[in-house]
Amino acid sequence: MRGADYIIKRTAFAIATVFVALTLNFLLFRALPGSAITSLARVPHSSPALKKALTHEFGLDKSKWEQYIIYFRELFHGNMGISFADQQPVATNLRQDLFNTIPMVAVGTLFAIIFGVITGVISAARRGTLTDHTSTMSALAFYSVPTQWLGLMLIIGFAGVLPAGGMIDNFLFHPTFAQHMEDIAKHMVLPAATLGLTFYGEYTLIVRSTMLETLGEDYILTARAKGLSRWAIVRKYALRNALLPTATLVALSLGYVVAGAILVETVFSWPGVGRAVYEAVTQRDYPMLQGAFLVLTLSVVFFNFLADLLYFKLDPRITE
Amino acid sequence: MKAQLKLCGILIALVLIAASCSSSPSSGGSGGPKQGGELRFGSSSQIDSLNPFVAFQQDAYTIFGYEYPFLMQYDTTTLQFKPYFATSWSHSSDGLTWTFHTRPGAKWSDGQPLTAKDAAFSINMVVKYQKTATSCCAGYVANVKNAKATDDNTLVVNYSKPSGEVLPNLQQMPIVPQHVWGKLATGNGSQIKKFANAPTGNKPVVSGGPFMLVSYKKKDVALFQRNPNFWGTKPHIDGWGLQYYSNDDAMISALKNGEIDAAESVPPTALNTLKSSGITVSSVPGLELRDFIINSNPKKPNNRELLNPLVKQAFDYAIDRKKIASTAWLGTAQPGSSIIPPTTGDAPGTSIPWSDPKIQPPPFSLSKANQLLDQAGYKKGPDGIRVANGHKMQYTVIFAHDEAGAGDRSFSIIQSDFQQIGVKLIQRSLDDTTAYDQILAPNGKYLNFDLAMWDWVPLIDPDFMLYILTCNSWGIWNDSGYCNKKYDRLYKKQGQTVDPAKRAKIVYQMEQMIAKDKPYLIYAYNQSIDAYTKNWTGFVKSPQGILNPLSTQTLVQVHRV
Repeated sequence: MRGADYIIKRTAFAIATVFVALTLNFLLFRALPGSAITSLARVPHSSPALKKALTHEFGLDKSKWEQYIIYFRELFHGNMGISFADQQPVATNLRQDLFNTIPMVAVGTLFAIIFGVITGVISAARRGTLTDHTSTMSALAFYSVPTQWLGLMLIIGFAGVLPAGGMIDNFLFHPTFAQHMEDIAKHMVLPAATLGLTFYGEYTLIVRSTMLETLGEDYILTARAKGLSRWAIVRKYALRNALLPTATLVALSLGYVVAGAILVETVFSWPGVGRAVYEAVTQRDYPMLQGAFLVLTLSVVFFNFLADLLYFKLDPRITE
Repeated sequence: MKAQLKLCGILIALVLIAASCSSSPSSGGSGGPKQGGELRFGSSSQIDSLNPFVAFQQDAYTIFGYEYPFLMQYDTTTLQFKPYFATSWSHSSDGLTWTFHTRPGAKWSDGQPLTAKDAAFSINMVVKYQKTATSCCAGYVANVKNAKATDDNTLVVNYSKPSGEVLPNLQQMPIVPQHVWGKLATGNGSQIKKFANAPTGNKPVVSGGPFMLVSYKKKDVALFQRNPNFWGTKPHIDGWGLQYYSNDDAMISALKNGEIDAAESVPPTALNTLKSSGITVSSVPGLELRDFIINSNPKKPNNRELLNPLVKQAFDYAIDRKKIASTAWLGTAQPGSSIIPPTTGDAPGTSIPWSDPKIQPPPFSLSKANQLLDQAGYKKGPDGIRVANGHKMQYTVIFAHDEAGAGDRSFSIIQSDFQQIGVKLIQRSLDDTTAYDQILAPNGKYLNFDLAMWDWVPLIDPDFMLYILTCNSWGIWNDSGYCNKKYDRLYKKQGQTVDPAKRAKIVYQMEQMIAKDKPYLIYAYNQSIDAYTKNWTGFVKSPQGILNPLSTQTLVQVHRV
């Protein structure tokens, strides 16, 4: 019964969060100085008539309240609007951006999660050894390196071996399926590695510290006294108990996959969501921003909700 | 699933281009330029839209230049107009009726006839919707009453007022196919802007230029194939692509590693690396200029000493233009002076340059600057900063994001020199939209800001640069708060003067007014820098780079070595 209560509460909370975020998405960008018209009407021979025409076309001559109501009404009809910048439906633009972003960011994030958890567990299990020191130091180093710097260093380091940018070689004219796959993989290695390397350190450090905490518990001592091997203790007792904060971190990371990675996408000319959002901010393209942040909000809330449910499964005490 | 289909579509398009292109370039007849091959261009600015009535970025205009016919082009070398789709033109003695004779027997890429009717349709469409859907392009048809095709090869454009800008305006006006756009130009015209104008499946965009767009991926690449029905000089290459890089370093690295063949707008910092890697670098004086802006709105309430001509003159003397050109721009700029750069060439059919040669940069002299400020009565305080009207001469300089990099270095040079004349400058970096908003504040009245740094990319015709300083341009382009009724009258007059030589004289008067009133201190004219590998030749240099909206010369002439 308590479990049902918990799920209902979390669901209600998730829905409320989405609504608050939708309103904030509307307000946030309109609070920025300047408007879409400022940047769009700057063409040779621009005139007050052009400004007026664009303001009317984008509905910016209506009061904020009217704009807010229209925004919600359209959203409930599943319409995210038309991008100010290229006059194409936001949904079409976003779909393409997401399709570009998700594979690269997902590969990078998964690499970070898997590699980070493994190195974190090994570091904790071999605390104080050379392995631990090497792993912790490199995790710290990668964690503190600026993403764009690492990206540029990789471009320079792999110059001539791996492509410097883009998603595929657009000038590869007769690709067989295998060549095409190889091309995609080649282009994805550097951006995904940049993302993965800068993220993995965080996982290593968090998993290591939660594991150390768990390894200090009495029941671990008991298990040891029972004569269980070190790896059996780590696997069966310590890791499961240390999973809670890691699950939160994983859920958050996965939620942010749809946000893309502005720096990595910029360095590697990857036409994804991160760059689309950055460009939309500079152009004050409200519909595009609202659309991108709606997708991000839903994704983060969804994965957090999943984490909440997972907690429930991982740790029955939560419902008490 | 849909996304996968889309990817498949792109792949099919690529395969088709490749299939239609000869795989190995062949020599064109008796020792002529090699034929065939695809040129891979890298660019750090992107195509924002494929629709000529939506796009704003230069690369978009460049590709329209290769996709659509235009009545005339510039000769990239002399910057004079030369026939293109129109073979000749003339105007009535009152300047109100212009007649263009167009190419007979021309066809669109889909085989439909391309005639003067398409030109008349395009002009009339822009005129009809100039307050709504085609408002972007209203300037191309300024004062046009209507256009008529009296037969398939004759276009007559009627103006309500005589205009000195008919040719520069129509040079920018793409002729779009009536059989495609006619369906969109109905009702309130809202379909005109919604039209993506992208290739669908394996059907290229209908083109009337030397190339047709066969594949496009937003923020990534645009691929072109030679238009088999092109009516003009045939290009040597089979096709070309414009690959977008959001990071200059990656673009340079791609060029060095042979991932692309040429790159446009190369940063000055990459020149040495490229040269040492055996890449050809083309660096020619460009159109772009850098300006130090002084708020010239006489109603500004604070720091009114900045309106004092002595202060403006002192600032002009205190800018070390040579050092900025050699240090900040690493030698890829020249000291600037007039708002019309010398690279705009001569007025059509004359040998009179648009840029007034009498306007020269003032010599760098801190002692002269100090003397002028002393003369104005602004004495130095104990900290070395002058005091004007009871407050320190300390000002915030709005610094647009566009200027980052070499602009930051220029600011440092100006800042340290100004310190020596007792003026303290504080840099305030802002994104472009915010910067312009702060300059206009409050509500387009130009009351708050003092100084700013930005740049302009003039067109060949001087009209645009002259317009930005008019009162009418407040809230649109004007970023100096300058408004002078006499200047505005001259602006109107030059626009209606059909004789280029007479028009140039009025333009000189306006340039001199700006040089005297100093809303801008033009401190640098930039070079236009492009780079390409040794495997290609035939690129035509221009002040707007080798790939430009001035003409189709570069990609028609370029070929493999």
